[in-house]
Amino acid sequence: MKKSLRIYLPFVSNELKRQMAYKGAFYLFILISLFGSFISYYLWMAIYGSSDQAVIGGMSRNEMVVYVFMVYVTSSIVTISISDWVSDDVVKGTVAMNLIKPIDYRFSLISRALGDMIYRFLAPGVFIWIGLEIYKVTVLGMAPVTVGGVFLYLLSCVMSFLIYVLFDFCFGMIAFFTTYIFGLQLAKDALLSFLTGQLIPISFFPEAVQRIFDFLPFSSMVYTPVMIYLGKYTGETLWFMLLRQAAWVVILYVLGSLIWKKVTKRLVVLGG
Amino acid sequence: MIEVNHISKDFVAPKKYPGLKGAIKGLFSNEKITKTAVDDISFTIEKGEIVGYIGSNGAGKSTTIKMMTGILTPTRGTCTVAGINPSQNRRENAQNIGVVFGQRTQLWWDLPLSESFTILKEIYNVSDEDFKEQMEFLNRVLELQEFFDRPVRTLSLGQRMRADLGAALLHNPKVLYLDEPTIGLDLVVKDNIRKAIKEINEKYQTTVILTTHDIGDIEELCSRIIMIDEGKKIYDGSLENLKDIYGTTKTVSMEVRSPEKVKELALHLPEILGVKEEDCRVTFHKENNVLGVTFDKHKLQVPQILSAVMDVMEIKDVQIQETELAEIVKEIYRHGMTEEEG
Repeated sequence: MKKSLRIYLPFVSNELKRQMAYKGAFYLFILISLFGSFISYYLWMAIYGSSDQAVIGGMSRNEMVVYVFMVYVTSSIVTISISDWVSDDVVKGTVAMNLIKPIDYRFSLISRALGDMIYRFLAPGVFIWIGLEIYKVTVLGMAPVTVGGVFLYLLSCVMSFLIYVLFDFCFGMIAFFTTYIFGLQLAKDALLSFLTGQLIPISFFPEAVQRIFDFLPFSSMVYTPVMIYLGKYTGETLWFMLLRQAAWVVILYVLGSLIWKKVTKRLVVLGG
Repeated sequence: MIEVNHISKDFVAPKKYPGLKGAIKGLFSNEKITKTAVDDISFTIEKGEIVGYIGSNGAGKSTTIKMMTGILTPTRGTCTVAGINPSQNRRENAQNIGVVFGQRTQLWWDLPLSESFTILKEIYNVSDEDFKEQMEFLNRVLELQEFFDRPVRTLSLGQRMRADLGAALLHNPKVLYLDEPTIGLDLVVKDNIRKAIKEINEKYQTTVILTTHDIGDIEELCSRIIMIDEGKKIYDGSLENLKDIYGTTKTVSMEVRSPEKVKELALHLPEILGVKEEDCRVTFHKENNVLGVTFDKHKLQVPQILSAVMDVMEIKDVQIQETELAEIVKEIYRHGMTEEEG
């Protein structure tokens, strides 16, 4: 097992190196998405400012500040779109080059995503996180996060990452049937920004909708780790949330294996 | 080493109709058309053979190769490579094979070439000693060191192809599939690639299967060729045999002194030699006074023609040409195999 995992290490380090080779594009990406976070920050501040309630949807104004920026940190390290790579491989026919090697295609993709995740965690994730902590303690006057809290948050993030990439792998498999999934990807991104709680915390949705979300994997992708970080889950609820994440990892893993088996049976390699 | 048994591959595609009206019709119709890319092909290849797998564009060569590498699953039939069924045990099979698709690269585009080799070393689980030895060998035959530290995307096509061949051979595979390995390369690089393939085959007894449109590749490398057309196997045998069956014509070119008599002679030559007109065709180039006679070598001999011509006029120079393999292959692609050999 140890040896078989070792062969995927180069994919991790490779993606890291590749990301560094295209620094410009990456910093642009950071700037644009950070810009989005500030928009949502000012929007929420306006909402809280004009409301006579101090707590909306179970969140105070200060918690909302933390929520907005922790969603940014979390989604930037979790949502690594491996379906882009899959559709690229399908369109260019390079999927064949992956299949001639004695490696598991899905593991190689996830390993690449892991490299990407590490890079995004180091730049800018961890800096914005630290910046937010300093702001939180000095300006907002909230208590700093505990060591245990950081640990639980990171644990939850790792599972979120796995849920996201395993889901995205299944999604990417559509490319084998339709070749192009660009339009579908846009739709997926739009839908996910809602369903994962990136745009609006899930606690703002009506009760009934929240119950439906409980049965979908999306809230486990971004919302759960951020809520854990905010200390909204305690005791039994906390363990339940972590277990639910673990369950989704297993379910999506099995689902991906089944789909992959089907796909390889009817695989068509484009371009000679 | 490789056994292919009645292998077939069908591709199913939705039926397309022409025009805008057709496009709308296509949205609602569920009709499918099946195209058989490979149709009931069987062959056996022994260890250490270099086999040329040839056929016109779209004949099904690459599809067969993809089934033998485990990328595609055959619709019918089975295939075994070194005792393993590639489509069922793709990863075990991948350990035994090396593949070069001439139009694609398996190297990491953004990284220096040396990195690609390090990654492949891990993927194929090559030991440090083997890696060192193999790299030395590959460096010698493919001269990789001159661009070893450059990113793959900056390599020229010739360098990239050498690098790709090296990458396919790093784990010393039992079987090497080369899908158009010399496509788009200049003569010198082509020659180097061929030499390298030959040397690898001799040193390790690697079985090589090669698809190509380059007749030079076949003449230099392959002892045996398998030819397919429209997914069916049409020839399997030695190169000499193919030449023997199809290379039935020869051409004698004679530079003559008295061009004015040529017209007269051309008209009567078949008659003089006692053969039908199609067995003895005459051409004449006015610019250099060269008279060419193309004839069936089973029906006529060179001296007969020479003496018939020399009876009428003086000859300055003579050249004899056998039909080239390229001509034979072209002829077969165009007309398919004749009945008796098919």
